[in-house]
Amino acid sequence: MGAPVQSLASQSPKKAEHSNINEKRHRRHLLGNRLSRYYFFFSILALCFVLALVIIFIGKTALLLFGDVSPAEFFLSFNWTPEEEAFGAAAFIVNTLTLTALTLLIAVPISVGMAVLCAEIAPKWMKSFIRPVLDLLVGIPSIVYGYLGLTVLLPFLRRISGEGLGDGVLAAALVLALMVLPTICRISDDAILAVPRKFRDAAYALGSTRLQVIMRVVLPAAKRGIISAIILGMTRAVGETMAVVMVIGNTPQLAKSLFTPSSVLTSNIVMQISNVEFDSNWNYALHMMAFLLLLISFVLILVIRVIGRKREDA
Amino acid sequence: MKLFKKFTVTALTAVIAVTASFAGIAAAADTLKGKITINGSTALLPLTLQAAKEFQKLHPKVKIAASGKGSVTGPQAVKKGIADIGACDWDASMDVPGFKAFDGQVANKVAVIPFATIVNKNVGVENLTTEQLAGIFSGKITNWKEVGGSDANIVVITRSFGSGTRVNYQAKALGGGDIVKKEKNYKETGSSGDMKTAVATTPNAIGYIDLVYVSGSDIKAVKHNGVAATTDNVINGSYKIWAYGYYMTKGQPTGATKEFIEYVQSKKFQNGSLKKLKFIPIAAMKG
Repeated sequence: MGAPVQSLASQSPKKAEHSNINEKRHRRHLLGNRLSRYYFFFSILALCFVLALVIIFIGKTALLLFGDVSPAEFFLSFNWTPEEEAFGAAAFIVNTLTLTALTLLIAVPISVGMAVLCAEIAPKWMKSFIRPVLDLLVGIPSIVYGYLGLTVLLPFLRRISGEGLGDGVLAAALVLALMVLPTICRISDDAILAVPRKFRDAAYALGSTRLQVIMRVVLPAAKRGIISAIILGMTRAVGETMAVVMVIGNTPQLAKSLFTPSSVLTSNIVMQISNVEFDSNWNYALHMMAFLLLLISFVLILVIRVIGRKREDA
Repeated sequence: MKLFKKFTVTALTAVIAVTASFAGIAAAADTLKGKITINGSTALLPLTLQAAKEFQKLHPKVKIAASGKGSVTGPQAVKKGIADIGACDWDASMDVPGFKAFDGQVANKVAVIPFATIVNKNVGVENLTTEQLAGIFSGKITNWKEVGGSDANIVVITRSFGSGTRVNYQAKALGGGDIVKKEKNYKETGSSGDMKTAVATTPNAIGYIDLVYVSGSDIKAVKHNGVAATTDNVINGSYKIWAYGYYMTKGQPTGATKEFIEYVQSKKFQNGSLKKLKFIPIAAMKG
């Protein structure tokens, strides 16, 4: 690069000075670029490093459990009496799955319905009202939902069911459904909006009614987006703690009915972790439950990625 | 490769810095005078905070950091060297049901905490005996009519295992009796505040709580063996459900920690701020 500059300089001193400044500026830019590249690279590495530490720490503490307790007991036994050295977490695992399924059963039809309403049917003023409200609902802290569940929903459930307590998976599922509803609705809404206009036009041109267009054309076309919305809602439902803890009853037993006070992985961890000794099987068992939650979320996120990639290919 | 090296060095430095700052909090008290870290019981936290505020006014160079999580975290934090003082609702230097003694720790009495049995306002029962309470909490008595109330199922609300309130209530009010674990009308709550809300909003509910929390018209404290839950009855010895609150220390307290504990135990604090917070001075008890 030096040579051409030299030759230019011999022709006209003024021009050479000018290009010299340009060169300096160019070098500065290059340096800046290189430095920012290092910075970003370092940020990513640091993040990975911290995440790896978290996973390793939780995993390591969790695996200490299997020194004394067999994996079969932890995963298959329904007897959780940690003060008597019985660490069966099966009830929590089953309850977590039941609760998540029940939540989605309640939330998905409503939220997808709302998304269709928002994207396809509602007049403009209604859309511009519903969307900001849903975005606001996402921002409410979960403990507020839990408190409302405790003070408003539970007495209501008690009245209509005649139960003494009302706590259980139904109450938790209703609270969770309300919490995941905005998430599922807004992402499905986006997915539906992303369906090209021409699909609808073609369907209308063939003489379809609006219901036929929505059910046979728009929803199938937006299917992958809606599924990833549902999975995102599911990850929130699986990991949610504070709201659940207030309405589920926190009793380590299998939820045999909708109103059996019971416990899920998250609520059991938060209720007990501060009250157990550091180096005890009890503590390791709680870490194992946390590790299990980590794995569940990890699998769910992988599923989203796979679905997302397929959508790009299509 | 060069980049990797750079990264390793930076990462290590960061880790060392973080570790050092954590270790610093713990180590500071051993080497530096004038820094006290307190952890443990939430029931004692208001008392600790008030005492810290007053103590720092007297000794501006002493720094006190206090936090609350749960009784057993107090002695645990002391054991691990994270805290100088572990606030605990029971004497953690001795065995209690569910928890082994913490060896080498000294229990310093700082306050008396009374507890009360509470029921929802719709419950007509005014008095319960130790046997009746033991029956209710162990799941043998499930209907209010068995203890003189109306025909309604009893809803038992309890604290989670490891709570100091639960340890003391079980020992003093239930005569060491068990608390039922797997029942339909049974619920665990995580804190005194949750307990109060749950009993207040659940008809036919029974629970237990620090006496200082008993207020409002949705819950009422019931008599125990015919004795009302009042501070006067605790002091004159007729009401039995109370416990000392302890500051656990590793060995005998020294330096600023010793000064602070002595301040909390002093007549001035015990009869002043401590009473105002509705705790009972330790000197008021005969036993």
